[in-house]
This record gives sequence, C-alpha cells and structure tokens, in this order.
Amino acid sequence: MSRVLFAAAMLVLAAGVQARGSAEAGKAKAAQVCAACHGADGAKPTAPENPILAGQYYDYLVKALSDYKSGKRANALMKGFAEPLSKKEIEDLAAWFASQKSNLHFQR
Amino acid sequence: MAQRIRLIAAAAALAAACGAGAQQPAPVGDPQEAHKKIAMCEGCHGIPGYRTAYPDVYHVPKLGGQQAAYLIAALNAYRSGQRSHPSMRGIAASLSDKDIADLAAYYAGGHK
Repeated sequence: MSRVLFAAAMLVLAAGVQARGSAEAGKAKAAQVCAACHGADGAKPTAPENPILAGQYYDYLVKALSDYKSGKRANALMKGFAEPLSKKEIEDLAAWFASQKSNLHFQR
Repeated sequence: MAQRIRLIAAAAALAAACGAGAQQPAPVGDPQEAHKKIAMCEGCHGIPGYRTAYPDVYHVPKLGGQQAAYLIAALNAYRSGQRSHPSMRGIAASLSDKDIADLAAYYAGGHK
C-alpha cells in the first residue's frame, strides 16, 4: 500500500517538474510576439535591459508572463504582449524558451 | 507681465540647472565588490533548483549570465515597490545603487 502511494507521489512530482506547454507551439508564437525584443530563441535580446529567456526555468517564465497579464507585475510594454495570451499560450512560450540554450545558468 | 514671465523662465532654468548638477552618474558595477554582498542572494538563488514557497511555488530565476541592465532594472523595480515579491522587496530596499550595480556585474559576468 505504502509503495503504491509512494509511486503515485513520485509520478505527481515528476509531472510537476515536467513542462506542460508545447515548445513547438511556443516557437511559432514566440516568432510573432517575443522575437523582436528577446531574440527568436530568447538567447540574444536586442536591448541590454531585455532579459535573456533561453534556459530560464519553465515555471518562473509562466509566473512572469501570468503576472504581466494580470498586471501584478506592472510593465506597460509587457502587459500589452501578455494580456492577449491564453494560459495555454503562456505555457507553450515558457516551454519553448525554457528548452533553448543560452549563457543563462545557475550561479551561486 | 513680460518681466514676470522672464522671472518665471529664469527660475525654471535655474531649477533645471540645479537638477542636472545634482544628478549622479550611474555607479559602475564591480563583481569583486559583490562577493561581500551576495550572502543575501545565496539563500535562495544560490541553492540549485530552489523554489519559493511564498506567495507562489516556482523556481527562483537563474541569474548567472543574465543581462546586467535587466538585473539592475529588476532590483530597482523591487526597491521602488513596482515589483511585488515580498522577500525581494525587503532585500532590494537595503541596497544602494552601487550595491545593485555590483550584484548585476557579478551575476552578468558569469562568475562561478
């Protein structure tokens, strides 16, 4: 019994870690909406104050876009882009950028 | 009337000149200086895969290799209250412009 519960808990944990969005769908959306400022793969932003998105954590990207959409993170420019996005589109974009390579890395 | 307008214009010019004079140049970040200041960042950003538990659960962002100007803008936004994460607001409130520039230089420079 406890082993079944443990296995179930591990599955839930694994699902939580895994990106839920579709990186392929995100790639197409990113090309239309994000690429002009963050670069197509999010690795080479076109201005120094625009963040690198490639390789960032999936759930952080979902959180950032959701907060821009809701206005919790106040940024007039990003609100304009995030507001029309559905939850699914946000997850797709996050999956795309999280799966791309850049210099972004964990640093102590 | 004309004299009064001239007086107002002179006052405005003086105020503008004082404003310009009082403006400090943006401090230049020094990654070495940041070594004394990263203790407060490490508790969350220095733990691989660390997640915030409040107010929501998600990974704290990777900072290494991020653009310095973005990191400065983010810390300024936390300090001014424009960005609302409670712990980040508390930490940013204690930082000077120089601290922020040093920390941004440290993380952007990719110092391991």
